[in-house]
Amino acid sequence: MGTALVCSALRCIFVSTSDLPGLDRVDPRPAVRALLLDAPPAMWWGTVGSAFLFQIMPLLLIGVPLPASWLPARSRDRYAQAMATSSIYLARMAMMMLKTVGGLVWGQIPEVRTRLSLPLRPDDPGTWRGDQFETRSGRT
Amino acid sequence: MTSGNHHAFVSGPKREFECDFAVIGSGAGGASAAITLARAGFRVLVAEAGAWRAPEDYPWSMTGTMRDMFHDWGTLVATGDSIIPIVQASVVGGTPVINSAIVVRTPGDVLASWRDEHGMGDVFSEAAIGKAQDEIEVELQIQETDWSVVGPTADDMLKGFKILNREVHPIIRNVAHCKGEMQCLQGCKQKSKQTANNLWLPELIQQHGGTILSCAQVDRVQLDGGHATGLHGYFRHPTTRKRGADFKVVARLGVLVAASATGSAPLLERSGLRSPALGKGFRGHPGAGVVGVYDRPVDMHIGPSQATASMHHRLDHGIKLEHLSLPLELFAARVGGAGQALMSKLDHYRQCAMWVTAVRAEAVGEVHQTWWGGRSVTYIPTQRDLERLRYGSKLLAQAHVAMGARAIWPGVAGMPAELSADQLDLFDSAPLDNKAWTWVLSHLFGGCVFGADPQRAVVGPDLHVHGVRGLHVVDASALPTTLGVNPQHTIMAVARVTAERLANA
Repeated sequence: MGTALVCSALRCIFVSTSDLPGLDRVDPRPAVRALLLDAPPAMWWGTVGSAFLFQIMPLLLIGVPLPASWLPARSRDRYAQAMATSSIYLARMAMMMLKTVGGLVWGQIPEVRTRLSLPLRPDDPGTWRGDQFETRSGRT
Repeated sequence: MTSGNHHAFVSGPKREFECDFAVIGSGAGGASAAITLARAGFRVLVAEAGAWRAPEDYPWSMTGTMRDMFHDWGTLVATGDSIIPIVQASVVGGTPVINSAIVVRTPGDVLASWRDEHGMGDVFSEAAIGKAQDEIEVELQIQETDWSVVGPTADDMLKGFKILNREVHPIIRNVAHCKGEMQCLQGCKQKSKQTANNLWLPELIQQHGGTILSCAQVDRVQLDGGHATGLHGYFRHPTTRKRGADFKVVARLGVLVAASATGSAPLLERSGLRSPALGKGFRGHPGAGVVGVYDRPVDMHIGPSQATASMHHRLDHGIKLEHLSLPLELFAARVGGAGQALMSKLDHYRQCAMWVTAVRAEAVGEVHQTWWGGRSVTYIPTQRDLERLRYGSKLLAQAHVAMGARAIWPGVAGMPAELSADQLDLFDSAPLDNKAWTWVLSHLFGGCVFGADPQRAVVGPDLHVHGVRGLHVVDASALPTTLGVNPQHTIMAVARVTAERLANA
């Protein structure tokens, strides 16, 4: 539920342009699911709570009584921009939270990095020093 | 040579350890104090809440960095009239593992203030601090940034500030053989950054028989009849956060607290320390960036994350101006707008340069433990701090324009999203409202400040906790003032001087 809510918001915020792939074209679900699984409570609640606010604020910000994900594409874009530039601090902070999480996901997408001529990165090692060598999945 | 031990996460029965000195925290202060005591022949144990990651363990992605290296994924924030993210690491080696490796000597005016206004006498004299910093600079191979590896954004700031007739210089860093791969903020995988997890802590184990506990959350310092005799804690798995074995450390000669400016005061509160000054005097260098948009690639992803700085207005305006490159993932959050407006900006990532104002803020906050065992930071930048930020932001925008930027993205609510070269005076009327600016808080101080008066200070002139034997605070939480420069060199030197005094006592 949390993953679906967050992905729905991120698809509206990181929307594809003719040149740059967005999260509406590249599926963010695996990355968001993994992120929320690992996130501490403050991060989880902050992200999911912000996504919930994103869904319910169209009436307040653009006067349309629909959840964000039900808005037609053009209204959705206008709404996302309205939330990012809102005079309501809570709305801006929720957008900042979603952009932070979305940036982490979107900025790693190989198609995006290729388009911007940025180096591709290998997978994170997920390891640390233990009494024995440790990986995220356990001892080796 | 006596080989020591490293104990990471374990579950099962309670573990017990003995040492001469127990050091809580392995960052700039803790590691510096620990290696000084160990070299003097004492058996030292270091307990660090984060995991030990060597450069080959550092993540490549920002997601991995926040997950594996930041304190609670970077979710620690200062609250007051706005929400300000706090940048702190939780990893063996501390925040220096993920900072830009900037090394600046303690300014003389700061040492004079400590001596004259905080009753420190000659404990941290220019001679004592200077000697410690001389030694540290050799050990950490401190040197000026190699200009052959910097990216255009750093070079542009250097040139732009020269055009504006302001002092500007290449940053001095604890980095050797930098390859300019812009990984400073994620941990330098090239092993160029000289940090405690790569130098002092391996030396502690391999040459001095020391012990390091990583993934080791210290719950409290054991205080027996006004005497610190050890500490209690538990191991916590770095991925699952599952609680592991409890541990107890008996420290025969003393305990040194270096759990950071947001961690040391809450730890001493949990330990039952009663001091009217505990948790007070929290300060910092909050900052915010200005983005210049160019017609040419300026490539933030090339070079060190920070390589150029200007101290021109440190004394008259209380600001330090720096180049700061952000990886794409973080830049996406910093850029204004959403939807098509956001993406059209991000498509220009390679044409964007970000320079930042770090304010030597007058604001004073508090840090305490929460009822659920977390950390609460209350901090409100003042109107004067906002004026300083506004001044610095305009100057940065002017330097961008001097270097040919076609537009400025101020990132301030209430200002236009984009300014042209002839609109920079709009900064003069930018809102003096913390909610309007995208503050980030780094360079943290206080919470256990030093001073002669026990009513106003937690620790005395020798960083000895007032009224408790065998307990010292040797990190930034002891510093009663901001510095106006990057603090890691000062923290390391203060910790070293204190540890030397302890060793010679």
